[in-house]
Amino acid sequence: MNRYPSNASDHKAALAAEALAVGYGERLVIPALSLQIELGTITALVGPNGSGKSTLLRALARLIAPRSGAVYLDGRAIASLPTREVARHLAVLPQGPETPEELTVGELVEQGRYPHAGPLRMLREQDHAAITEALAQSNLLELRHRRLDSLSGGERQRAWIALALAQATPVLLLDEPTTFLDVSHQLEVLTLIQQLNRSQGKTIILVLHDLNQAARFAGRMIVLHQGRIVADGSPRDVLTTDLLAQVFQVQAHIISHPADGLPVCLPYATI
Amino acid sequence: MMQRIAVRYYRPLILLSLLVLFLLVVLHVAAGSVVISPFDVIAALFNRPVAPYERIIVWDLRLPRALIALVAGAMFGLAGAILQSIMRNPLAEPEMTGATSGAVLFAVLWLSEAGRQLDQPGLLLPFVALPGGLAGGCLVYLLGGAGKSATSRLVLTGVLISAVLRSATSIILLLRQEALGAVLLWLIGSLNGRVWPHWDVLWPWAIVALPSGLACAGLANVLQLGDASATGLGLRVGWTRLSLFFIATLLTAGAVAVVGGITFLGLIAPHIARRVVGADARRLFPFSMLMGAGILLAADTITQTIAQPVTIPVGAALVLLGAPYFLFLIWRRST
Repeated sequence: MNRYPSNASDHKAALAAEALAVGYGERLVIPALSLQIELGTITALVGPNGSGKSTLLRALARLIAPRSGAVYLDGRAIASLPTREVARHLAVLPQGPETPEELTVGELVEQGRYPHAGPLRMLREQDHAAITEALAQSNLLELRHRRLDSLSGGERQRAWIALALAQATPVLLLDEPTTFLDVSHQLEVLTLIQQLNRSQGKTIILVLHDLNQAARFAGRMIVLHQGRIVADGSPRDVLTTDLLAQVFQVQAHIISHPADGLPVCLPYATI
Repeated sequence: MMQRIAVRYYRPLILLSLLVLFLLVVLHVAAGSVVISPFDVIAALFNRPVAPYERIIVWDLRLPRALIALVAGAMFGLAGAILQSIMRNPLAEPEMTGATSGAVLFAVLWLSEAGRQLDQPGLLLPFVALPGGLAGGCLVYLLGGAGKSATSRLVLTGVLISAVLRSATSIILLLRQEALGAVLLWLIGSLNGRVWPHWDVLWPWAIVALPSGLACAGLANVLQLGDASATGLGLRVGWTRLSLFFIATLLTAGAVAVVGGITFLGLIAPHIARRVVGADARRLFPFSMLMGAGILLAADTITQTIAQPVTIPVGAALVLLGAPYFLFLIWRRST
């Protein structure tokens, strides 16, 4: 089913994993996984709870070191690169980031310039420009001086996305960016991500819980089950009744969305 | 609201704070058993002609004490701000580094053995307490920070090591009660009898540790976003946290060695500073430092003034003021 043969030296791959094995303590979550992410695409990692989708994302973002195998960023092994250099090419928004009290939106987003400006942090003109642009893209310019703990959940999530945008990286990894948001804020965040992909050609990989959102916003869906890739391709190819039964243990109808013909799954019973 | 104003007018705020600190130094020097007019103090400080006895009191007796209060307070304030930032815990304080209890244990050990033969053990005390503070800090650092360090592990190790060192101190004091008298004031934290030799122990540390701490503000800012985000931003999280912890230990050990086991200052000063200037470490660190200096100077001036001729150790006064504030913090966080 894997239509993306593994080849780390392929220059089209913005990010690639080769025979990646990842685990926590005794538990091996991902035994051996290879994949390639093409430049300028949106890829959604989906799968049931405990399938290893967040773990894979964390390994791709070098937040956890793999047991074996390697991650390649633009064809170079990520573990061999200085971490600040990686941060200039790849930004990651972890799941449910802890919000420091008393920090303002502007102060948070400013930290996105750390990989460019360095530890002593005299912000230059291009840093200020990147911060303002990140705030503008996430529609946060007016909230710049507000404290994070005074924002709504959706605004706070946008602030964290703005932090990743200020990093100005070609690759952006997001771990469940829509969790805890109501439906309109979920769409707002995903639409923003889609715009970033379309207008700036950012390569985006995101973990999503909601299959229909993944089908709507991602060009490619990778389905994980017990640490393995069990389906990989366009939402239309991936989202099948068989897959939902095998991987998610639900019976479902797959219909076309009346608005745009994208696949939508309607689960109605567990197996 | 207050925070926004303070951020917009940060530079004037710092200048104003420096002016207030200067006035506090003047008042501190003016206060005491012989009260000197603040104008005479300023005149004496700037080498204008004043009565010879006033000049001696200002330069030889009181100025070193005021400078020590200023700098030690700044060190406690900055150490507390650094620890609260890196532990991501508003209740972290310098004692957590193990430096305070380590310094106290060494001082008590030395006083109960070698020191009691000396006429003025107070003068040599800082030289003994300093390595003790560093040893206590290193112990916490090695046990809590070796390899991959989790924040909670460092905090718990610090609390545990401090408790162990304090109980060892208690046992020694019980066995050697005659040492208690000499060390009691120092245990509580006091500026009584601080003279130029003490200042000479303090300033070299301050000159190294204060700028190092301030220079790390940018790193602390990234670190307080949490380990995952900080790693994503290209920060070497474990290494950075240990470096900042080490700087906080240096600050604490240096200050404790000279003024004794003052607690609460490193907790309160950063807290007030955070209320005023917010959590951005590039403003929080310098302002906590100024806050710590101001509070210690003011507290010492008050203890010298209200209770003449008895001198209350400033450490006790700070705890009396600090404990209710601490309770208030806990109460506010839980509601």
